[in-house]
This record gives sequence, C-alpha cells and structure tokens, in this order.
Amino acid sequence: MVDLVQNTIDGLMIGSSYGLLALGFTLIFGVMRRLNLSYGPSVMVGAYLGTLVYVQLAAGPLVVLVVTVLGSVLAGLYVERLCFAPMAAGAGVASMVSSFAIWMQLEQAAVLVLPRHTYPFPPLATADPLAFGPFYLRVDGLIMLACALALSAGVQLLLYRSRVGLALRATINNPVAAHLAGIDVRTAVVFAFALASAVGGIAGYLVLATDQQVTPMFGMWATFKGLIAMMIGGLGSIPGAILGGLVLGVVEANSQWYFGPQVRDLLAYVLLFACLVLRPGGLLGEAPSRQQDTGRRGA
Amino acid sequence: MFEVSDIVATYGKIEALKGVSLKVESGKITCLLGPNGAGKTTLMMTIAGILQPRRGAIRLDGMDLAGLSPARIVSRGVALVPENRLVFPQMSVRENLLAGAYQRRDRAGIDSDIDRMYARFPRLKERREQMAGTLSGGEQQMLAVARALMSRPRLLLMDEPSLGLAPLIVAEIFEIIAELNRDGTTIFLVEQNAHMALKVAHQFFLMEQGRITFSGTPGQLAEDEVIQRAYLGSRRAAG
Repeated sequence: MVDLVQNTIDGLMIGSSYGLLALGFTLIFGVMRRLNLSYGPSVMVGAYLGTLVYVQLAAGPLVVLVVTVLGSVLAGLYVERLCFAPMAAGAGVASMVSSFAIWMQLEQAAVLVLPRHTYPFPPLATADPLAFGPFYLRVDGLIMLACALALSAGVQLLLYRSRVGLALRATINNPVAAHLAGIDVRTAVVFAFALASAVGGIAGYLVLATDQQVTPMFGMWATFKGLIAMMIGGLGSIPGAILGGLVLGVVEANSQWYFGPQVRDLLAYVLLFACLVLRPGGLLGEAPSRQQDTGRRGA
Repeated sequence: MFEVSDIVATYGKIEALKGVSLKVESGKITCLLGPNGAGKTTLMMTIAGILQPRRGAIRLDGMDLAGLSPARIVSRGVALVPENRLVFPQMSVRENLLAGAYQRRDRAGIDSDIDRMYARFPRLKERREQMAGTLSGGEQQMLAVARALMSRPRLLLMDEPSLGLAPLIVAEIFEIIAELNRDGTTIFLVEQNAHMALKVAHQFFLMEQGRITFSGTPGQLAEDEVIQRAYLGSRRAAG
C-alpha cells in the first residue's frame, strides 16, 4: 500500500511533464488539425543548445532554461515553415510525413554538433526529498507539478480571456470564417506553434534537469510521451492533456515498480489501446463526430 | 462606389471567373443572380481575399483591394457574410461578435456596437452566452450578419443569405437586409431566390459560366424573356 501511494506520487510528478508535452501537442493539433511529429525533436534541439551553453560557457540554470525555451521556439517555427505553412488545407498527411523527415534531420544535426551520446544538464533542485511519514516528495518533482498546473492554467486563460486567444479559437473553429472576420490566421498559427514550442521547451528543461542529462533520443521520447498523453486525455482539450499526462505517469510508475520497465511500456500502450476502444475522443475530448468532419472539409 | 473590373480567377486550369466587371452603387442593394456553378461564390470569395484573382481590379472608393489579405480587406471596409453562415460553433454568440470586431481597437465602440446588435437581433441577446453551434439556422444567419456588421463595413457582401432557411425566416432576413440598407449600408448579395431579391434590390446582375450576361433594374429584369423563364418561372409553376 505504501509502495502504491509512493509510486502514484512519483507518477503524478513525472506525469505532469507528460502533461506539458501533451499540452503543446494539443495546441498545434487544435489549430492545424495536423500531427507534428517533429514536436519532440524541436524541443530536443532547444535542450541541445541548452546543454551547449551549460558545457561551453558554464551558464547557470536560468540561462540554460531561457536558451532551451528559445531554441525550442526557433526549431518549432522552422518546422512550421517547412512542414505546415506550404501545405494546403486538407494535406494533413503531407505535413505529418514531412514533419517525420524533419525529425530525422534535427536528430542528425544534433548528433553532428554534439557527437557524444549523453551531455550533462544542470540539476533542477539539489535539496533532499521532503518526508511525510513513510512517503517522500522530490523537490524537483514538486516544481514540475507546480509548473504543469500553472502553465496549463495560464494557457487556458490566454485562450479564453485574451484577444490573441480569441483569434486562436476562431481559427480552430473555422479558418475561413476567421479570415472573413478579419483575423490574421497566419499570425495565429505561428503564434500557436511558438506557444506550443515554448511550453514544450519548459517541459523538456524540467525533465532533463531532473535526469541531469540529455541524449539525442530525447526527441523521440518527448514525441511519444506527449502524443500518448494527448490521445488518452482527449485531442484539443487542455485539461485533458494534463489529465492524460498524469494518468500515463501514474500507470507507468506503478507498472515499473511491480512489473519492470518492459511491462511499463507495454502497459502504457495497453492503456492507450483501451482508451481508443472505449473512449475514442479521449478522457476529456469529445467523441469525433461525422458532422464535425464534413464541416472541416467544407472549410 | 464599389467596382470590379475584368476579374479572372482560376481553380487550377479551370477558369471560374472569365473577366467579370460590375459596379455596385453606394447606398443601394445590388443583387447577383445566376445558376449553380456560375462562379458567384468564387466572385464573393475573391472580393473578400480568400481567393486571389489572376487578373483584374477590385476597387472600393478608388482603393485597390485585389491582392490584399482578407484581414486587410475587412479593415478597408468590406465584410462578407459567407455561404452557409460559417459561425464559430464552439464560441459563444458574444465571442462571435467580438471576433467580428477583431480589426478594431476601440473597446468602447465595440461594446456599444454589441449592444446595438442585441437591440437589432433580440434573439441573439437572449442567447448571448450560448455556443453558436446550438443556434437554429435562422439565428445563425442573423449572427453571421451581426458578426460581419461588427467590423463596421462600408460594403456588406452576402452570399445566399436565404440558403436552407424556412420561408418565414427568409422573409425576416430580407426584412433585415432592407433595414440595414435604409440605415445606409451598401449591400451586394448573391441570391438564388429571385422573387425575394426582386422585392429589395435596386440593381441586378446575372452571371452565367463565369461571365456577366445581364445587368439592369428590377423592372428590366422582370421584363426580360429569358430571365423570366429561367429564374422567375417558378412563380407560375408554384401559383
């Protein structure tokens, strides 16, 4: 019982980083209705720039954070420019396939610049875990959880209470109508990519600072975790993204403890499978409806 | 004065508009008739900047609008109420109106315009916090009109405002069109329902296969043998 609770606590903390990655994914998916497989790799590029300034210039954690986030945003906009801007509406598969190609490109570029397999990352918090009776709370985990909740609330506020949020939601609802209302849809899309990449960059920083290292595989890891968490939580839903991340984290932490790492990944996919069968729209997403599909095509 | 001259627009190799020229007089209601596939919606989308013309000029009071982005065209004073309304279904009625005023920065003016829209369309006021997707077809059409008016257009374009609406609602929509015009809005509308259009419009154009084939007043339109048969014949059949 103690183990179960402790695992759940740990799972919630790592799961909050999945939630942040899913949040970025869901922002892009919501606006574009397209999958950006290069999402994780662009965060990885930011993280590599972060470790570069850490190793070469001995920069402090704050500078590494800023560099990681800015690098992720630049890489995200690069992906948008190459894979999303040139593709006409309705060419979603073309965008997805080209984002896969850019994934390979970004990964190779990272390996060429920094050829060793692992590079160090500054630790997030070196304080001892806080003890509550038999349970331990890691300080970096708490920071991660707090960041996830604050950021998702911030993004939610931005979407529902600001002018640019109005533009984004109008674009999500119907891009042609958004144009006709006088909204600069192109700017809204670029903003969505930049925002999603910044959220991803913060998530990447938190995860890597907890691990204290970065590898080229981080891009794939981030894409997978974010994608699975988004699909569990519900496409296009911000609370869903965070919830999906937390659920994934808790299931992973417990299955790792009880069954080992191989079964952990297996169970993550079983969870995804069960979700897709039982609730195809995700926990908090709406079930995909035929009517909505035709509406999109008409637009 | 709004003027379109020699507009050519293509979908791939297909010429949808083959040199369209027409004039819309300020303060009047001008109606564009024509069969399905004649290019009416293409013309509207081209004027609004969603489609780019291959050639030709689009002028509002001397300013050239061709080639501008849709947002720029809205800020120059042209707003389109699109075919099938295209409200933002998962946004509230109020948010739809706010989106229509996106190019404007005068908060106080926007707020008072929203109140004016509520006064003109009381049903939108009743449903102001409701998601637009839950409104009836007629209510959505009113919302689409109100959203377009929120940009304070000098020229209001309407693409088949009566499409898919019950006859009573159609009459109401045309009532609103006449009212807006009396208040000084220049209106250029596409309409299949020639009988309704005859009651409000001051000037007619007929478009067939990407060309303007007739222009005239309601009187001239009603007298024209061919148009009688093609567009007004249903009156005899119905009555």
